[in-house]
Amino acid sequence: MTVKRILPLVLLFVLILFPLMVKDDYQQHLMILVLMWVVIGSGWNVIAGYTGQVSFGDAAFFGTGAYTAGLFAHKLGISAWWAMAFGGVMAMAVALPFGWICFRLRGAYFALATLALNEVMRHVATLWESLTDGMVGILIMQTFVSKVPYYYIALGLAAVSVLSIQMIMGSKWGYYFVSIREDQDAAESLGIDTHFYKMVSLNIAAFLTGMAGSLYMNYMGFIDPEVVFSLHDISIMAILVGIVGGVGTLYGPVVGAFVMVAVHEFFRTGFFGFFNTLAVLTGSDVVHVVAGYVMQAHVLGFGILVVVVILLLPNGIVGDWDKMMGTVSSVRKKGMAG
Amino acid sequence: MKKCALILGCLLPLMGLVYSGAFGADGLKVGVILPLTGKLAKFGEIEKRSFILAVDEINASGGVNGKRIDLIIEDTTGKPDVGRSAIEKLISRDKVLMVGGGYSSSVTWAAVAVAQQRQVPFLVNTGSADRITEQDWEYIFRLNPPVSEYPKALGSFISEIGDVKTAVILHENTLFGQSGSKKFSKQCGDLGLKVVMEEGYEAGAVDFKPLLVKVKAKKPDFLYMISYVMDASLLMRQAKELNLNPRLFVGGAAGFTLPEFQKNAGDASDYVFSATLWTPSVPYPGAKAYYDKFAATYGCPTEYHGAEAYAAMYVMADALKRATSLTPKGLRDALATTDMMTAFGPVKFVAYDKKTQQNRLPTFLVQWLHGKLETVWPKDVATAKYVYPVPKWNER
Amino acid sequence: MEVFLQTLVAGILKGGLYSLIGIGMTLIMGVMGIINLAHGQLMMVAMYVTFVCFHYLGIDPYLALFISTPLLFLLGMVIQKYTLNPLMEVESLLPENQVLMTVGIGMVLTEIARFVFGSDYRSVKTSYSSSAFYLGEISFSVALTAAFFLAVAFTVFMFWFLRKTDIGRSIRAVGQDKDAASLMGVNPRRITIITFGIGAALVAVAGTLLMPLYYLFPDIGGPFTRKAFVITILGGLGSTVGAIFGGVTLGLAESFGATYIGMAYDDMIGLLIFLLVLLFLPGGFKRLTKI
Repeated sequence: MTVKRILPLVLLFVLILFPLMVKDDYQQHLMILVLMWVVIGSGWNVIAGYTGQVSFGDAAFFGTGAYTAGLFAHKLGISAWWAMAFGGVMAMAVALPFGWICFRLRGAYFALATLALNEVMRHVATLWESLTDGMVGILIMQTFVSKVPYYYIALGLAAVSVLSIQMIMGSKWGYYFVSIREDQDAAESLGIDTHFYKMVSLNIAAFLTGMAGSLYMNYMGFIDPEVVFSLHDISIMAILVGIVGGVGTLYGPVVGAFVMVAVHEFFRTGFFGFFNTLAVLTGSDVVHVVAGYVMQAHVLGFGILVVVVILLLPNGIVGDWDKMMGTVSSVRKKGMAG
Repeated sequence: MKKCALILGCLLPLMGLVYSGAFGADGLKVGVILPLTGKLAKFGEIEKRSFILAVDEINASGGVNGKRIDLIIEDTTGKPDVGRSAIEKLISRDKVLMVGGGYSSSVTWAAVAVAQQRQVPFLVNTGSADRITEQDWEYIFRLNPPVSEYPKALGSFISEIGDVKTAVILHENTLFGQSGSKKFSKQCGDLGLKVVMEEGYEAGAVDFKPLLVKVKAKKPDFLYMISYVMDASLLMRQAKELNLNPRLFVGGAAGFTLPEFQKNAGDASDYVFSATLWTPSVPYPGAKAYYDKFAATYGCPTEYHGAEAYAAMYVMADALKRATSLTPKGLRDALATTDMMTAFGPVKFVAYDKKTQQNRLPTFLVQWLHGKLETVWPKDVATAKYVYPVPKWNER
Repeated sequence: MEVFLQTLVAGILKGGLYSLIGIGMTLIMGVMGIINLAHGQLMMVAMYVTFVCFHYLGIDPYLALFISTPLLFLLGMVIQKYTLNPLMEVESLLPENQVLMTVGIGMVLTEIARFVFGSDYRSVKTSYSSSAFYLGEISFSVALTAAFFLAVAFTVFMFWFLRKTDIGRSIRAVGQDKDAASLMGVNPRRITIITFGIGAALVAVAGTLLMPLYYLFPDIGGPFTRKAFVITILGGLGSTVGAIFGGVTLGLAESFGATYIGMAYDDMIGLLIFLLVLLFLPGGFKRLTKI
């Protein structure tokens, strides 16, 4: 058994024990978000990372899943949990016609089409008031007060999605996907039905993302079109999770989700109150003013981080791991020599 | 194994940071969640400053029973999920005694659900969706009237002037706009007005002319617009360009009372009415003083959101003062028996219709007259006589 | 009839402004093959420049064109040189890294604006901001009409520039075939930098012209980015004439949609046209006009 095989098991073990070790609701909440993003990021990674069809519209699937769950509870009075699987199916129902029509487009054009799908879905949800209540949104009461059940459901979903992607990518399908990414025309000439396999890939992504959407509805208890069909907060965030973690790597989205949620929260809370602490400890007004600025500029910090990561680690943390380690060790060697 | 150690090495300090948690003096901790970045940041900022203004006053005059209030303000970025993260953090890390703020209805909604589940008192001061206080949630209180009551004063005004027969309602497609328009068109029915057109638009449009041309063709007596400040000024400017002349222009409470509206719309803002909850000239003690103090401290004017926040801080301080025990239950009971006067009006949490723990407030009608916002209705608090019908554009 | 004519006028005038936004985007897309998702944010920067000129220096927005345009040209070049070009060399699985980079840049620009100016709404109030003249019953906004004619002038200028100057020809050459162009002695790196600069400058013109009519806050860029890519696809990548068609089409579609279907649907109508063109006329109007 190599490290590569043990590491995921260790990780899973740590994650299973997490809520037993960390009782703090706030940290459990963050971990649930991380796990949800693992699922979304993995879904994006299948269609974009492995198959090479970059989607800018994951929110279309995410929102469909969330609204399915919400409407189940809100209109039919059925527990929103039933919608977990059904949300995925509904997302596929959106993905099927869309993919069927739009997969004749390639590269940037496909990306733009997904972007448009995202926006169209948001408008539909806003305007179809009789079904969705429009911008009023849907509120359901959470099933559990404690976070632990949500945590394990999210963990289960994340684990299942990573495992199933591993299985798919090890199968014939996986090779087809990658061949489409590498050279679609060559794949076609080898007799691979590229249109069909792109559809398969998109539907896997849609299913996973839709499930994540249902989970979001169940956990957050509130959705409105701006939240779940958000281009910036869902679609772009999904891409960032994929890119920062590592495109086309199995554990890239896992790492990406953790890093993005942590960094987001890190910046939002002013380095977890670090600056405020500093200001109070030193009693200096200057630090206090700086702290104020840092808190104000948290999104700026996040944006700069995105730019820097893409610039320095274009293949993400997992993809560029060796490069990173190389830099670190060479720096260390230099330091020793000096 | 090296990698393993490395990852752990990276994670541990991070976790440590997460844990390094709450510190600070032993004041009474009150949490506030507000949108300090994102689209709504402007209003979040006004509320934040008002909260700080109020808490500084309270602490300067001896705090609450000798203890100072420590305000912990968290940014929601205007998004429900972040708002939820923020309130989770306030409750479980900072161990705040109660929470306030929320701002937009969607964030408030997501946050109060957490507060109710965790049984921490939450005083809503701006989120105006009716449903927030219709859930029988015993830990949720609301200071401001729900959106359906914003145009209450308008109803009596229209019955007074009498000759308004047809109405057009334009609203932005947000929670505030959609639910406000629905409630208002129902109210129109009760008043015997015929709604000849009711239409939404996506906030932030560049060009409202196609919409206004349609309105013009309907020749309504009365145009009611539920819009935020900049859409509001564009609507009025373009109504002027199109020479659209109903007898009455009325804004829903959202955007038509802000100084920016007048600055941006210029003379097109003249004679526009607006339903509102608060202006500096309302007959409550401290209202004008708050307005002046805000302007002197921050060098910019405040508006009703700020007054809501300012009053909310005093209500929370009052509850902290009266509470028999500083437990969630004790504070809840103290809040429930609130009966005080604030700069935003009298505060008393009562149950009526489907609502519980809801403060009931009168609303006002204001009108822009020669670049100044004057309270014109109800008559007993009016600072100026209203001008009706609104003069035609080419006769001004 | 009045309703119809007024809608037509509103659509065409708005379309002129949209064209200007679209041309910048189409140039960048045509030459580099990437979607610039920071396009609206660049416009926002230009609008703040105009605001500062007007508010602190008392410069009329139309004169501020001479300040905002060169400034944005420089900003565009810096962005291309230091953030987008370095990405071309590194090995990565997806070419979309550059697109994401523009998302990051957009965020940074927005937040810098918020940091400096706060989230307050700003506007430039000139004597002509809300004045209009009338032909019969139809009203023409003075500022929007001026913006329309200036937009047409700039478009004609760009058309001439791309056809007749060396740099313009090089830009088109790189857009058609980067390798072939570099064999012909064109430095594609230099051209991409100039192109991004020009794209930014054009959107700066649009932003400055919009300023007297509209208002400004840090998050204003997003919707305009969306409109820009819709226009680009309608018109066809890299096609100036296409961008004009695209801009006017979008303007008209939004206006007529707002009048005859409902204003709430105007974004959606633009997007549906976009999807239809994408599917049934890939390559946009460029395919029909061949220029």
